[in-house]
Amino acid sequence: MSGVQVGKRIIGADAPVTVGWENIGRVEGGPFKQFFFTYFQPAVLFGLIAFWYYAPNEWALASIGIAIGLGFKVLLLGLEWVNPRYRSWQLTWKEFATDVFYVGMGYTLVRMMGTYLGDDVMIEAVRNAFDWDKFSWFTGLPLLVQAIAISMIFDFGQYWMHRGMHNWYPLWLTHAPHHYITQLNINKGAVGNPIELFLIGLGVGGFFDFLPRAFLLAGAIGMAVATYQHINVRFNTPRWWRYIFNTVEHHSVHHSQDYEATRSNYSGTWIIWDRIFGTCVDGEAELLGMEGGRRMDIRETMVFPFTEGYNTFRTWLRRRLQLPEAAPHQPEPAE
Amino acid sequence: MNLQLPYVDRIWRAKGEVIIDEPLAAEDAFARLDPLFQTPGTSYAVAGDTLTYSKKNPAAQDKLATFTSGALTVDQKSGVSRLSFHVSSTALLLCFLAPLLFLGFAQIAHAVNAWEASTAEVAAKEKSAEEGKDEDKDKSKAKAELHWIDKLLGAPEPDDPTKKKDKGEKKEKIRTTPAYVLAGLFFVIYLVGRVLEPWLLKRTFRAALSGRPDESVASTDAPRSAGAQAQPDIG
Repeated sequence: MSGVQVGKRIIGADAPVTVGWENIGRVEGGPFKQFFFTYFQPAVLFGLIAFWYYAPNEWALASIGIAIGLGFKVLLLGLEWVNPRYRSWQLTWKEFATDVFYVGMGYTLVRMMGTYLGDDVMIEAVRNAFDWDKFSWFTGLPLLVQAIAISMIFDFGQYWMHRGMHNWYPLWLTHAPHHYITQLNINKGAVGNPIELFLIGLGVGGFFDFLPRAFLLAGAIGMAVATYQHINVRFNTPRWWRYIFNTVEHHSVHHSQDYEATRSNYSGTWIIWDRIFGTCVDGEAELLGMEGGRRMDIRETMVFPFTEGYNTFRTWLRRRLQLPEAAPHQPEPAE
Repeated sequence: MNLQLPYVDRIWRAKGEVIIDEPLAAEDAFARLDPLFQTPGTSYAVAGDTLTYSKKNPAAQDKLATFTSGALTVDQKSGVSRLSFHVSSTALLLCFLAPLLFLGFAQIAHAVNAWEASTAEVAAKEKSAEEGKDEDKDKSKAKAELHWIDKLLGAPEPDDPTKKKDKGEKKEKIRTTPAYVLAGLFFVIYLVGRVLEPWLLKRTFRAALSGRPDESVASTDAPRSAGAQAQPDIG
C-alpha cells in the first residue's frame, strides 16, 4: 500500500484511509433522507444554542442539560440504526452493553477520582496558593463569545493532552486501550482505561469566571458537535462545519489502523486547533484499531497501563543489565 | 463457562433447536455452519454428530460474539433434520452481575458522603465564631450584567447572587443517583440480551443452514474494502 502524501507525511501506507473530502461517501436515498441527514447537525446545534440562550433562569440548569444530553444520545442510537455509515460498525447487544459499562465507569469511578484529584481541586489549590481570584476577563462579553471561549479553551487543553498521549509513553499507556476500539458508536468515546478518561477531562477553564448561562451554551456546543466524533451515521456534513468542527470522518482517520493517520486530528470539538498546529487530515477510514483490529476486552483495558508499563520496564531493565530477553516485546509503541 | 448449575445456569446458558429445511447429514450441516467458526480466536472440533466450539475475545461483528462456547448437535427424526444448540455466554453472566458492581459504587459514595458530612460538621462548628463573614462575601458579589448585545437580543438577565438560594436540599459530595440508574439499566440490558441474543443466534443458524447467501455469515468476515482506499487527491 503506497499511501497518500499529506504535508510531510504519508497517510494510508499501513492500512486503507480515504484522504480528501471529494472522495468521501454521501448519504444515499430519497430526497427526505438526503434533506434530513444534510441539515440535522446544523439544525440541532442552532436549536440548542437558541434554547439555552433564551431559556428562563429556572430552566437553565445543569440537570436539564444532562436530560437533554441523554435524550439526544437515544435519538442518535436510532439514527445509527436507520442510516449507518458502515455495516461493519453496526452496534450489537454485546458492544452496547460493553459501551454502557464504560459510560458507567465515567459516571461513577472517574467522577469519584475527579472529586478529589480533578481540575477543580487542583485549580482551587493553585488559586489559594497564590491568593488569586478567578480571572473575570470574559464576564462582560456577549454570551455566545463567552461560550465559544469556554469551549475553545477546554478543547485547547484537550488537544494538547491528547497529543501528549500520543507522544509520551507513560501517557500513551493510559490512552492505548481506547485505540483498540474497532468500530465507532456514540458511546465509544467512553471506552478506555479510567485513568485516561480522568486525564482527558482535565481543563484550565476553572481559572476563569464566566456567566452560568455561558457554561450551558458551551455544553450545548460540545454536545452538538463532539458527540459526532464517535458515531456510526452517514451525514452530508456542511463544508463550513467540517472546516471548523471535528467530525466522525476526522476521528475515524485518528482511529484507523494506519499508524501515521492516528497521529492526526487530536481535538475533541474544534478541528481548527489541528489545522492551526498542522495535525489535521481530512478524510475517513473504516478499518479501525490496533494489532490488525484485535478487540481489547474489559479486563485487559483496566490493567493495560500497568501490565504494559511493567513489561516495558522489565525489558528496559534487562537491556540495561544485559540479561537475555525472556520474550519479544509487544509491538506498537506510541512514538 | 462449563459450570453446570441446574436452573441457575440459565442466566448465562441458552439452548434451542432449529429445524433444517432439507434433510442434511451432520457433516453437511456443519459444512454450512463452517464460516461462523472461521474467525480469529475460534477453536472447534467435530465428533460424529456434535460440534463443540470456543471463542476467545471474538471480534465485535462476530455472529457468535455473545455465546463464546457451546455444543451443536445434528440429528434426524422421521426424515426431518434438526440442529440442537447448547451455548453459554460470559457476556450475559457479567451483564447479570454488573448491577452489583454499580450498587457497590453507590455504597462507596454513601460512605464517602457520610464521612464528608461529619468532617463538614466539625469544620462548621469551628467556623461558627466567624459567622457572618460569608454573608459579607455574598453581599460583595455584584450582580453580573449582560452585554448590551444580549440585552438587545432578549436573553434573560442573570440571577442576583445576593438572593438566598433554597438550602433545603443537601448536596451530595459524590452523587449516588447515577450508580443506581446504571444498576437498573444493566438489569434491563441483561433482560433484553437474554431474550434477544438466543433469538438472533437461532436466526443466524437457520440462515446459514438454509444455504442462503446470508448477511450473518457474510458480515462476519467483513470485507471492508469499498471506499476505504487512500485516494490520490488531497483535500
